[in-house]
Amino acid sequence: MDLLGRIFVKPFQDMAAAPDFLIQVVWEGLVSGTLYALIALGFVLIYKSSRIFNFAQGIMVVFAALTLVGLHQMGVPALLALPMTLVVMFFLAVAIERLVLRPLVNQPDIILFMATIGITLFLIGFGETIFGGETKRMITRELYIPAGSTIFEPFGGFVAIEHLDLTALVAAILLVTSLLVFLNKTRIGRAIRALGDDHQAALSVGISLSMIWVVVWFIAGIIALVTGIAWGARAGVSFALEIIALKALPVLLLGGLESVAGAIIGGLAIGVLEKLFEIYWGQPLMGGGTETWFAFVFALIVLLFRPQGLFGERIIERV
Amino acid sequence: MKRLMKAAVATTAILAAAAFTAPHLLAQDSLYVPNLSYRTGPFAATGTPLMNGQKDYMTLLNERDGGINGVRIDYDECETGYNTERGMECYEATRANAVVTQPWSTGITLQVLPRTNVDQIPVLAPGYGFSPMADGRTFKWAFNPPSSYWDGASMLLNFVADGDLSSLEGKKIALLHLDAPYGREPIPLLEDYAREYGFTLLPIPVAVTEMQNQSAQWLQIRRESPDFVFMWGWGAMNAGAITEAVRTRYPMDQFFGIWWSGHDGDLAQAGEAASGYRAVSWNVPVPDAPIMGEIREHVIDAGLSSIGENEIDWVFYQRGITMSMMLAEAIRTAQEEFDETVVSPEQVRWGLENLDISEERLEELGMSGMIVPFQTSCANHTGHGGGWIIEWNGERFERVSDHLQADRDRITPLEEAEAAKYAEANAPWPMNDECEL
Amino acid sequence: MLYRVAGQYKTSYQADYALFPVRQDAFLLGIILIMAFVVLPATANDFVFRALLIPVLIYALAAMGLNILTGYAGQLSLGTGAFMGVGAYACFKLVTIFPEMNILVAVLLSGFFSATIGMAFGLPSLRIKGFYLAIATLAAQFFLVWLFQKWGWLYNYHTSGAILVPNIQMFGITVSGPTATAMAQYYFVLGVVALMTILAINVTRGRIGRIWKSVRDMDIAAELVGINLMKAKLMAFFVSSYIVGVSGALFVFMWRGAAEAELFDVQLSFRVLFIAIIGGLGSILGNYLGAILIVALPVLLNVVPRALGLPISSSMVEHLNTMTIGALIIFFLIVEPHGLARFWQIIREKLIIWPFPH
Repeated sequence: MDLLGRIFVKPFQDMAAAPDFLIQVVWEGLVSGTLYALIALGFVLIYKSSRIFNFAQGIMVVFAALTLVGLHQMGVPALLALPMTLVVMFFLAVAIERLVLRPLVNQPDIILFMATIGITLFLIGFGETIFGGETKRMITRELYIPAGSTIFEPFGGFVAIEHLDLTALVAAILLVTSLLVFLNKTRIGRAIRALGDDHQAALSVGISLSMIWVVVWFIAGIIALVTGIAWGARAGVSFALEIIALKALPVLLLGGLESVAGAIIGGLAIGVLEKLFEIYWGQPLMGGGTETWFAFVFALIVLLFRPQGLFGERIIERV
Repeated sequence: MKRLMKAAVATTAILAAAAFTAPHLLAQDSLYVPNLSYRTGPFAATGTPLMNGQKDYMTLLNERDGGINGVRIDYDECETGYNTERGMECYEATRANAVVTQPWSTGITLQVLPRTNVDQIPVLAPGYGFSPMADGRTFKWAFNPPSSYWDGASMLLNFVADGDLSSLEGKKIALLHLDAPYGREPIPLLEDYAREYGFTLLPIPVAVTEMQNQSAQWLQIRRESPDFVFMWGWGAMNAGAITEAVRTRYPMDQFFGIWWSGHDGDLAQAGEAASGYRAVSWNVPVPDAPIMGEIREHVIDAGLSSIGENEIDWVFYQRGITMSMMLAEAIRTAQEEFDETVVSPEQVRWGLENLDISEERLEELGMSGMIVPFQTSCANHTGHGGGWIIEWNGERFERVSDHLQADRDRITPLEEAEAAKYAEANAPWPMNDECEL
Repeated sequence: MLYRVAGQYKTSYQADYALFPVRQDAFLLGIILIMAFVVLPATANDFVFRALLIPVLIYALAAMGLNILTGYAGQLSLGTGAFMGVGAYACFKLVTIFPEMNILVAVLLSGFFSATIGMAFGLPSLRIKGFYLAIATLAAQFFLVWLFQKWGWLYNYHTSGAILVPNIQMFGITVSGPTATAMAQYYFVLGVVALMTILAINVTRGRIGRIWKSVRDMDIAAELVGINLMKAKLMAFFVSSYIVGVSGALFVFMWRGAAEAELFDVQLSFRVLFIAIIGGLGSILGNYLGAILIVALPVLLNVVPRALGLPISSSMVEHLNTMTIGALIIFFLIVEPHGLARFWQIIREKLIIWPFPH
């Protein structure tokens, strides 16, 4: 009975007792949720257009952030380093398309998935050779990203909103909006969606597969750069960041592998829920550290009821 | 296809041949000193300066003195990336001719430890490993000078309580730790203290995958508002914790780290905002120590070092130097005792067991004040030299306390009990009965 | 010439379906077995045993378990590492609770624990497929590793949270723990792996194997011809996790000697998956070839510069190594997406008709 109380009553009492803290928890959840959503978005774009489950998205985040910081350390002004990093990401996209994807056209999904893990390993070794393994500071000041924070004082407590996180949120919203405009209003964007709908049909109306792939991987590179800046500003840029890509996977489960909206809503939902669960249930009842698995288990449970994820396209099976 | 096959066969043959001849060919009159380094992986940021220091001191001995008593040191690194699997591989690859093994991670140490009894090779784990390793009767081959984690925890407690542990009654201390054997190491001792002095211990684990995403842990700290936070962090976790502490506005003067959490590179990321953060350490950087001048002259200016700019005064770089010094001194002690220049692992073990790093000896070495003085013995493999509190002033660490000592009376029985438990779990475990208390 | 099949007549279907329809295959296997049982142990030193031979065998076994699930039954899993962990922790508990139990029995029993847990986590496979299932198995991966850390009973409340393998004797020879010789451990592992391989070959060649293959190729069609999907999939999870669990027990008891929960993290799962895919999905032989490539190659790459005396720093070697492995994976996927086992098949076919090109 006591246990039931601690599971079903106590956490809500705690929430009501300190509403300012609850707001802070939700806000922190939203911020990490944004980052999960961004990584998931990179996955979704590539999956939609090429049916590749791109495991390398995580290392691309690291690689983009390291290139930016590395260029700046070599003496390139920050505002110039940014476009130069984009150029590097573009060439990376071209290289991946030429050397890996093109020879593997038409292979089973799992082979392409493995190839992206190969890319991950290669980029880890390559990045460490060039940039070294130490943690680097993200050049937030040089990029004119505001530091500092605003403090609200609702309900007699306080809620601190970091400007850095706010900027990340705004940047993410801008990025997603422009991406949606791009996908819906431009020729290339429509071509990407066409490829997502039906490969054969898209090819037969003259859409160039290799061009689209380069574009898609480049967009994934841009998203990676934004994610890298946002996350790097919080915790420094190092190869340990690569692990966070795994956190985007349950988002995909929840949101569906093909849905842009699903990636965003799924990301935010998981960010907030895992934070709430950890703070109000995980830490008092289970010794903490539940964030490593909560998102996966939660997504799994949802999936048992909706096998295609919350926003995925309905799976129709034919023999 | 054929050509491909031929090439493949040829490569395999070469590789196989290489593997079978792998164990390092011993040059005449040199001592092979391998180090299971980690300059790659998620912990590279903290590993690299330590490895640089270790390497540079050995290079200095070779360049300046032609080695130790005329025997060159063949210092060699085997990269593990802090991965236990690679660690075992490196241990096997290097142990054949090595006089010592330096396993680095606590995980690798745990795996190597039982093997060293059989392979008869000393383990040198300065300031890390397994606290009960101090018990030389049980752990004949393992050494963790000059202070163990339990010593560190005890010193921190005594420091925050200002020497009067009973003042901690009713207080709350959070232990923010890496969720790995290393991070869990201080828990039994702190729990023991908590029971005795009536304070609350709140362990907060940080999973390796969450090292850079600690907001949940810091929200918990905000909710619980502990009087002190102790950190057992490593690699990317340190920088993450310090930036989060700044964000949560946790008062820096209540935030303390173990020696592995006092790394200039980590603190530099938070910079000014982290000033006031303190850590317990058994070494402090002394920029004008004579030894540093010699390293600058013989190693760095000669282009033999791989350290970056301004890293020479880092706590971790100079800690690496003191670690190699311990090993070099052990070799020297063994050489003098056994009157041989090329000493065996067994003799180096004796050397490690009879280390006497006194103030005078440090003066001779040009290392005064860089490391706490300590002395090991047959039964005491740690030396328990104590430590200092160092404080981050926004740019560098500075020593802010007198020489602290751990509460040995309380720790010793725990060490003995844990060591006995270990020996029992691994029965039949060879004990070193030669030791007198 | 050496592989000429002319003159080997088959007069019955039975003979055509035999394990070795061509005599030379049996002969070749004989040579490999003699190598494994006699020649290698006689020539290898401790380094070769502990860094090459034992890990290759253990990883090959783990990959074989995964291959049954992924290659034969078509269910992609990324939770192999955690299931190995279940086997290892189960074996540890068995050995510490019943110290007089024969270690071989403990190892073989521990597989049943991981098999049961594997089956439980296999339940979602009835509803979800493909990458969704792969991510779902990650739930098992992360949850179980978390459990290994938090549940003190599993590691007997040892302060460091790690399990340490005690010295265990079997028929008077120490086979596990620090005092065991590498050779004893090698023979133990070899014996278990050989046993499991025979089991796996026969299961996959028989009725159950055919059911799995039909589920893999198209599960709806399989269901329509009267195959009980639930039974088939859960059986695949059971058998696969059993083998994986046994390999996990061997992994810790016969090789590592100590283990912390982090050992069984997702990287281990990926590693085993690499071996299965590079080796060849749906092949038993492939697991061995894959293990040799993925496990032994990095070890060899590490010692080459050292042996040749190249002045490259150890960290640079490691960087180059990671890059090489990544590049090799891509290379092999491009050259032969069906894995090394397929490579061997092509070579064998060429040998059979040699010296003629067609």
